Amino acid sequence: MKRISLPFAVLALLGPLASGSVDAQTKAIRGQALNPDGAIRIYSLVGTVRIVGWNRDSVAVRGVLGKGNSLHMGGGRTGMKMFVEGMNERNPQPAHIEVSVPTRAKVWIKTATADVDVSGVTGSLDIYVVGGTIRVTGNPADVNAEAIDGAILITGSPGWVRAKSASGAVSLKGSSRDVTLSTVSGAISVAGGRFERAKFETVTGNIGFGGVFERGGAVNFDTHSGAIDLGIPGDAPGDFDVVSIAGPITNKLTSQRPMAGRYGRGAELSTSNANGGTRISIRSFKGPVTLRRIG
Amino acid sequence: MTEDNIDEESLRDLLARTSALPRTIEPPADAWTAIRASIDKPEAQYAARKSFWRTTNARNNPAFLAAAAVLLVAGSSAITAVVIGRQANRQPSPVAASVQPRAAGPGTLAEFTLVENGYIRTANQLAEVLRSEESKLSPETVTKLQESLRIIDAAILEARNALAADPANSAIVEMLSGSYEQKLDLLRRTTEMARS
Repeated sequence: MKRISLPFAVLALLGPLASGSVDAQTKAIRGQALNPDGAIRIYSLVGTVRIVGWNRDSVAVRGVLGKGNSLHMGGGRTGMKMFVEGMNERNPQPAHIEVSVPTRAKVWIKTATADVDVSGVTGSLDIYVVGGTIRVTGNPADVNAEAIDGAILITGSPGWVRAKSASGAVSLKGSSRDVTLSTVSGAISVAGGRFERAKFETVTGNIGFGGVFERGGAVNFDTHSGAIDLGIPGDAPGDFDVVSIAGPITNKLTSQRPMAGRYGRGAELSTSNANGGTRISIRSFKGPVTLRRIG
Repeated sequence: MTEDNIDEESLRDLLARTSALPRTIEPPADAWTAIRASIDKPEAQYAARKSFWRTTNARNNPAFLAAAAVLLVAGSSAITAVVIGRQANRQPSPVAASVQPRAAGPGTLAEFTLVENGYIRTANQLAEVLRSEESKLSPETVTKLQESLRIIDAAILEARNALAADPANSAIVEMLSGSYEQKLDLLRRTTEMARS
């Protein structure tokens, strides 16, 4: 039997699916069957990628490709890949694509500066962006979102969240059982949800938290010089252990007053709210820490 | 002073001092006598208790059992009352809570120094790989990445100086470890993104 090389086989498979136009912007409309919980990997450098979950066992792609771009798709019902290939990798033209995927699909996306917007997916999401903005809306089972200097904005209640950026802001409006948000200089904002296990960390970025901790949970806040502003309702449980090496601690939540640090500087505070039951650890090198009551 | 030469001197000093220590030491001459005596003592007490139960046959004496039951009830009630009273009177401690490291790790400058060398080595290796892939990133991204690394390095240096002045401060060790972890994570993530 005559054998063919793998790269040639891939090209032969994907070739007929390419859009073929190199003259100007072209519209792309494609479709392919995919199991309700199938996996899809999407790679597009520049422009926008919009993912929408729908109740069908197929993938539909609609979009406008920049000059010289071609769209390639391939794979089977359990897993598929698609990517936008530019004529000039050093100067890629933007492609704006919208991909409808089965609601429970596992979606993996990688871009350079393309913004990514995902909604209505309940499967898992893996999103990697260098400089674009990541927006996730809905209740995916889990979200892993990483950016270098782009913002990550999540609205909804994923079961598990890991969101990391360096200079971009990270925000979560909603709840999660297990969440880690991390930046270097970007701000972290958390609003309105319930949290069981959580970690929020920055180097210089501010951390703003307004929400509720589940009893029995464990939550960590860490910063070097960012401000930590933590607001919880008066009846929300929490055992707070706050240490600041050189920054001030302001407690507007309970009657306990911060004390001078044991090492001769900074401040420490140990206090409980609503009979405690959730371990909340806050560490700041020199950023101010404020605990306050909300709602 | 840079972070690369902070620890090597301390590490060499530590290694020199540990290598000068003897591999084994003999216990004091009378140690075994004291150990044997402490082992023999409970055995003698146990033998005495055993002989009491055998000779008095107290387990079959109804008066003895009734007295034991009364003592048990009274004793447990007293203990319960004391515990409940303590809980009712419990006030928040005026002393700052003991800060425990959230993950097992070094707690002092001396312990951290060994770990830190690993961080520095890994960071240098990753930075080298990233430099070779840097052309795949846009100039704007490289500028922002370098700015983020500068921010982390400044935080590390500041915490490192604070730890040098306060070598037993486990909270600073914890924060310093966190900053190094963030630096490694950023270098790893950027390298992976640049490669693909």
